[in-house]
Amino acid sequence: MTYAADARLRPSADADYQAPSVWRSRGIVIALLGLAIAVIAFFGNLVAAGQSGVDQASTLAWTFGVTTTGFALVKTAIAVVLWGIILKLWLRADSIKASLPALVGTPGADSDPNGDVDTPHGKAVVSDRAPGQLPIHKMAKRMFRPMLAMGLMAVIVGLIISFVLAADASSTAASAWMQGLQFLGEAMLLIGISFLLGTILWAIRTAGGDVQEDLGVKVYTPKMPAPAKGFVVLMMLGLMLGIVQFIGYLVVAGGGADAASNLAWLAPLREISVALILSGIALALVAIGNVLGFQFWRIQSLIEAGERS
Amino acid sequence: MTTVTKSTDFKVEVTDKVPDYNAAQRIGRRLWAPMWLMAIMAFPIALIIGAARANEIANGGSEATVSSLLHVQAGIMFIGFAAVLAAISFAIARILGAFRKGGGEIQESLGADVVTLRMPPTARVFMMGMMIAMVTLIVASIVHFAWAASVSTGSVTLVESELAFVVLEAVRRLGVALYLVAITFGLATITRVLRFQAIRVRELAQLT
Repeated sequence: MTYAADARLRPSADADYQAPSVWRSRGIVIALLGLAIAVIAFFGNLVAAGQSGVDQASTLAWTFGVTTTGFALVKTAIAVVLWGIILKLWLRADSIKASLPALVGTPGADSDPNGDVDTPHGKAVVSDRAPGQLPIHKMAKRMFRPMLAMGLMAVIVGLIISFVLAADASSTAASAWMQGLQFLGEAMLLIGISFLLGTILWAIRTAGGDVQEDLGVKVYTPKMPAPAKGFVVLMMLGLMLGIVQFIGYLVVAGGGADAASNLAWLAPLREISVALILSGIALALVAIGNVLGFQFWRIQSLIEAGERS
Repeated sequence: MTTVTKSTDFKVEVTDKVPDYNAAQRIGRRLWAPMWLMAIMAFPIALIIGAARANEIANGGSEATVSSLLHVQAGIMFIGFAAVLAAISFAIARILGAFRKGGGEIQESLGADVVTLRMPPTARVFMMGMMIAMVTLIVASIVHFAWAASVSTGSVTLVESELAFVVLEAVRRLGVALYLVAITFGLATITRVLRFQAIRVRELAQLT
């Protein structure tokens, strides 16, 4: 089944499967730009080490904002490359769909009945038709763009505040706003990347089902692997902590609490939120590796069972 | 006129049998899980130390203890970051291994020459960047622990400790940026492999 909104998640009809990905090149350029910005901030920090008092606080304020912006650019680059991967996945699936009838010949009869089966690559579901999408796929496809956009906006606003703070380094409120906003932005960018990985898992699942259905054989679909479940839990937990740290910084900015002691625990909390989302991203990549292994196994079994003239 | 790109237009190796995983892919398959576990253990420990430090500040504890805990917390947190970013990098290497092995097995099962993409330059940048970034983060974390010990024993002043923290923070941030760039190159390699396989599978259909 093709969903109207999914057309925006596939390459155009005239896309050339042989052409290099422009998104890959763009992603690499953006990543190198982000690294260059982080290097500028690095030297700024080294200068700050030789300063003291207000001068040091002022330099540290803008270097914080600039470094985080450099990170945000590299994360954007990762998102751009992942987008290129999604498009190339579809083009590869089209190539497999076009080639498989010749490679398989007359497909062999599948012995497994419909329902759950064990395969060398874990549990799978056998069905006559390609399965529909999972709720997490729907959410991932809808949300990756807004999350990336909101994340970038939060980081840029934080960068502007860092320049304001550099001009008046004594402002606790500006410092709290800058840290809270920029780390919320970083968390949102990583959630956007997580949703893109969820979209990749959707594309692999959907394309795999389409290819099998098109060939007229039973459709084998892997069940959601444990790493994919862990990915969803860690992503949500990380986002929640990202919001909690932002609220914590707002409280400090409002002057309603002991700033020094609160900033002491908010710093590791904001890093934990990013760390948990990164842990989830690692699991998503592992799940992608598992699903790809399953699909290669399925194609190979079809070729071995088929009768080519 | 349309130019046809062939799999042999890429830098490839042609064999009779499926090539084994390369060294990076073997390491990736073995080490992603231990790295991930190490990260998951490091993060809560760093958070607990951060909470202990906040408690010291709130209760007017000694400045040396507060400064020492800051170094310990940052050291543990960034060992966690080094580990989780390594887990991500290894998971990417594992995906590249799945493409190499799976693509080879399909070609072998068809009785065709097994054409495998050679390691592209982006993959080399990915591995080199990852190694430099990991060493940067681990060394910075170890130096944090050394400063924590020095502050506790009183062999350095609080001002010196603070300056060391500023420098180490700069080094850690650069390490993370480098790690993320390396990951971008790893993902860019996947894009290239997908393009190669889209071309190769159509060639196989023409051969059979």
